[in-house]
Amino acid sequence: MPTTGAATAGGARTAGLAKVYGSGDTAVRALDGVSVEFPRGRFTAIMGPSGAGKSTLMHCVAGLDSATSGQVFVGDEELGALSDRQLTKLRRERIGFVFQAFNLIPTLTARENILLPMTLAGTKPDQEWLGSIVRVLGLGDRLGHRPSELSGGQQQRVALARALATRPQIIFADEPTGNLDSRSGAEVLRLLREAVDELRQTVAMVTHDPVAAAHADAVIFLADGQVVDIMTGPTPARVLDRMGELGGTS
Amino acid sequence: MTGPAFTGLIVKELWGHRRRLAGSLVAVFLGVAFLTGTLVLGDTMAKSIDRFFANAYAGTDVTVRNATTVTDMPGQLRGEIDGSAVDRVRAVAGVAVAEPVVQGSGQVLGVDGKIIESDGPRIAGNWITDPELNAYQIVEGRAPRTPDEVVINRATADRGKLKIGDRTVVLTPQRVPVTLVGITKFGEDDGFGDTSFTAFTLEGMRKHVIPGDDKVTAVTIRAASGVSQETLTERIRPVLPPGAEAVTGEELAAQDRERVDQFLGIFRTALAAFGGVALLVAAFSIHNTFAITVAQRTRESALLRVVGASRRQILTLVSAEAVAIGAIATVAGLAGGIGCAALLKLLFASFGMGLVAQGLVISLGTLLIAAPVGLVVTLLSALGPALRAAKVPPLAALREVAAERPGPSDSRIVIGSVLAAVAVGGIVWGALTESMTMAGAGAVMCLIVMVVLGPVVARPAAMIAGAPAARWRGVPGVLARDNATRSPRRTAGAATALMVGVGVVTLMTVFAGSLRASVEDGVAGSFHGALVVNAGSNERGGYNPRVADEVARLPQVENAAGLGQGAVRVGSDNADVRIADPARLGKVLALDVAAGSLATADTFAVSQDAADDHRWRVGSPVPVTFADGSKQTFTIGAIYRNDDVAGDYLMPRTAWSAHNRQALDRVTFIELKPGASAADAHKAIEALVKPYGTPEVQDRDAYIASQSEEMNAFLGIVYAMLALAIIIALLGIANTLALSVHERTRELGLLRAVGATRGQVRSMVRWESVIVALFGTAGGIGLGILLGWALTRALGNPFAAETLALSIIALVGALAGILAAIRPARRASRLAALTAIAAP
Repeated sequence: MPTTGAATAGGARTAGLAKVYGSGDTAVRALDGVSVEFPRGRFTAIMGPSGAGKSTLMHCVAGLDSATSGQVFVGDEELGALSDRQLTKLRRERIGFVFQAFNLIPTLTARENILLPMTLAGTKPDQEWLGSIVRVLGLGDRLGHRPSELSGGQQQRVALARALATRPQIIFADEPTGNLDSRSGAEVLRLLREAVDELRQTVAMVTHDPVAAAHADAVIFLADGQVVDIMTGPTPARVLDRMGELGGTS
Repeated sequence: MTGPAFTGLIVKELWGHRRRLAGSLVAVFLGVAFLTGTLVLGDTMAKSIDRFFANAYAGTDVTVRNATTVTDMPGQLRGEIDGSAVDRVRAVAGVAVAEPVVQGSGQVLGVDGKIIESDGPRIAGNWITDPELNAYQIVEGRAPRTPDEVVINRATADRGKLKIGDRTVVLTPQRVPVTLVGITKFGEDDGFGDTSFTAFTLEGMRKHVIPGDDKVTAVTIRAASGVSQETLTERIRPVLPPGAEAVTGEELAAQDRERVDQFLGIFRTALAAFGGVALLVAAFSIHNTFAITVAQRTRESALLRVVGASRRQILTLVSAEAVAIGAIATVAGLAGGIGCAALLKLLFASFGMGLVAQGLVISLGTLLIAAPVGLVVTLLSALGPALRAAKVPPLAALREVAAERPGPSDSRIVIGSVLAAVAVGGIVWGALTESMTMAGAGAVMCLIVMVVLGPVVARPAAMIAGAPAARWRGVPGVLARDNATRSPRRTAGAATALMVGVGVVTLMTVFAGSLRASVEDGVAGSFHGALVVNAGSNERGGYNPRVADEVARLPQVENAAGLGQGAVRVGSDNADVRIADPARLGKVLALDVAAGSLATADTFAVSQDAADDHRWRVGSPVPVTFADGSKQTFTIGAIYRNDDVAGDYLMPRTAWSAHNRQALDRVTFIELKPGASAADAHKAIEALVKPYGTPEVQDRDAYIASQSEEMNAFLGIVYAMLALAIIIALLGIANTLALSVHERTRELGLLRAVGATRGQVRSMVRWESVIVALFGTAGGIGLGILLGWALTRALGNPFAAETLALSIIALVGALAGILAAIRPARRASRLAALTAIAAP
């Protein structure tokens, strides 16, 4: 597998991606011919009403779930052709994750959690890169703490640090602010933004929150498994309007 | 893949979850400790016995003895040979010393005037003056010099509270008044196992024990220096009288050792079987614990997969946990095993079965068996859950996952049912055709069925077991029942361990109960008199047969008949014979004569079983070889059906005494005259037997009960050993509950938040535990009864399930559930409502 460095390649895209759960009469088309791009070095938000297929899209692009038809590319790599072992390697080296909750291994300290992908891969971390992440995320004095000793916002910052640690081609964030108070949420969004602007990372974020979506460079609107709109330069008001038209609850 | 960093991760994970490992750790520890204990005990006994024999024949180069054997029992005396052998052997070149050995039965009376109890042979013999040929040495006092002086071994002296200078009596079985002049030791030990050894001078033996002629039991020979044992044996052989043989000292030790090893082998196998049961129960407990913990950390495994852990790494993580538990518990278990062996020794002693075991022998073999077994059992138990953990998809990290797979699959139900049908079929078939192999195979299969079908049965079983709680214990009862039924796999896993333990206990209870019933019914069915004089359980003890004659002359007594025991060869087989006056015995015992008649005192009679086996009828000739080597053909005069008291062969005393000295009776059956007072007769007989070493006078009920006394001791030991398996099973239940409580932290918090009291939460957990325990106990009892029935039927015994014993087992099972719940219930009830809800 060519290991194109994060600095030279990145982003992800789908082509005619479809995902069907079940079969026959009970079949549900969660994604129906989705072709989108998460451009390199950009912050893209995915929005849509409940059941629109946001999470499914993210899972498929992240290699957590397999497509029924269509293609998914991470960098130049087509995921459909990869075995479980190759997907594991891909996730470990080229994809980062931040979830809504349950992001960290409770028995490990913050530092150990951040280093986890490298530990599993048996590779040496890039200390300089790590130093800058820790500095940007303001975790310097929290590295020896366990998740239970950290606030929700701090936990999410550790998760973000872990996602950044391998310099992935793309970071997926699934409702990263869903479990946080507004101040901590704003902090995490600011950091995601900084990751894109200052650390040249690529971020895709699923969210319900128009304020959160407004931090992105572009917003992809999904409804019933299809892309219905792509908005660039979003503001909270415009996103809220668009969601209202889609009949979304928030 | 497993670089140092990943190893560090494994260690971190282990340390972080150390609490949940504790339960499994203790289960494996107990199992390994017990197994090690049984192995150590077996080795210790073997070593001690080896030492005994090494000492017994240390200085003996050759022994000349009777070539005939009539028994497989170790330590039995052979018949006598002609005394001329001594002088003939002395004349052989290369013989440095040859001394006659004259031995017979001799029972010393203690200070209290009773025969000193010992489980081994009670031997009187001549004090051999050559110290190298004598395995005993005097440690206090001096050797006997006159015919009325004796020395006895330390253990016997201590037990009878005898001191040097004491005057006492040796029963041969005549009363021989003697003075104790010395105390002996057998090498380092206070005796040769449990043998009581009283030494007279040779003259004393000839005067009191083996009177009259110049017969000897053996000649013991020391070779001149430079003459090998084999050479000397070759030289001695030609001068031997007919019927005698010469054997080297090494060969003697080897023969005796081999005989003991056979008995020891059975004992060791039985011990190891109990160790196996304990480990099996432990395996079920560990498996269940792993299954639960793996399910509980599904999300964690999935998260690891998301950030890039491979399946192999997840498998490694879980396996490492198993290896760590296995290794730590095994090492601790090996150490604990030594203590366990000491406890087992105490246990046997407390049930009146003193073991020949000095010190504790820890052999390499023990380590090589116990260590891998402990590790492998743990690893195998964790294998399934570990593989399941590795299969967790990364996506599971993002879902609210169901902790465990739901209800049982159809294939499980089908396969389980088929297996169950085959297992039960095999057991029933084996029982009806009296085939142990078939019944045994069915029993093993039952285990598999339990594993397969457990989760299927768990839900309905827990519903039934929980019905009373749900009905009468209000909301906590209902919740307890629902909790027990909601993950049938877990309930079944916890209950299965208990089921195995209780199953084996029940099996043993049913088996022993049936055996006891069989013996007691047989004895009760044949003896209808009022009193017996009983020499006790040692087959090598007994009293003067004159007791029966004297008792018969008492005014209260209608009939009395003594019964002795001995060994002969019938054809080419060793056989036990009972010795009596058949005519008199026939009057006090209902032997249920099927053919012929016991009318005369010289009738030779056999049991129906023996007759069937050999196709004998009344009038058939039976070739018998006595211990002294002489042969005699008896003609069957009667065949009887009731062999519980009379055994397979009933030999007239006159015929027996012609070839054996020192006839002893082990029991005298007494029938009183109509209207005679049993209490008066009891008193009169007790006075009468005093000079005969005071054997016990028992009424009929006490005698019948005494017949199963040994079995009670045996059962006691079995229970004590199985108690460990039950304890391990309880730990399993406690562990499962603790994990469930942890998992339901939120739920419990919610209950507290909406107003459940601590007591109610406690009660809920406790009842869940009781329901699981009841399920396990009931299943175990059912299984045990089925297997017990099959086993007794396969052995041709009547089936007797003792309701009282089984009720106690059921009660203990339920109590066990309460015990297991103590800690988890306390933890559950102490959760503060808010923290519980806020828990991640």
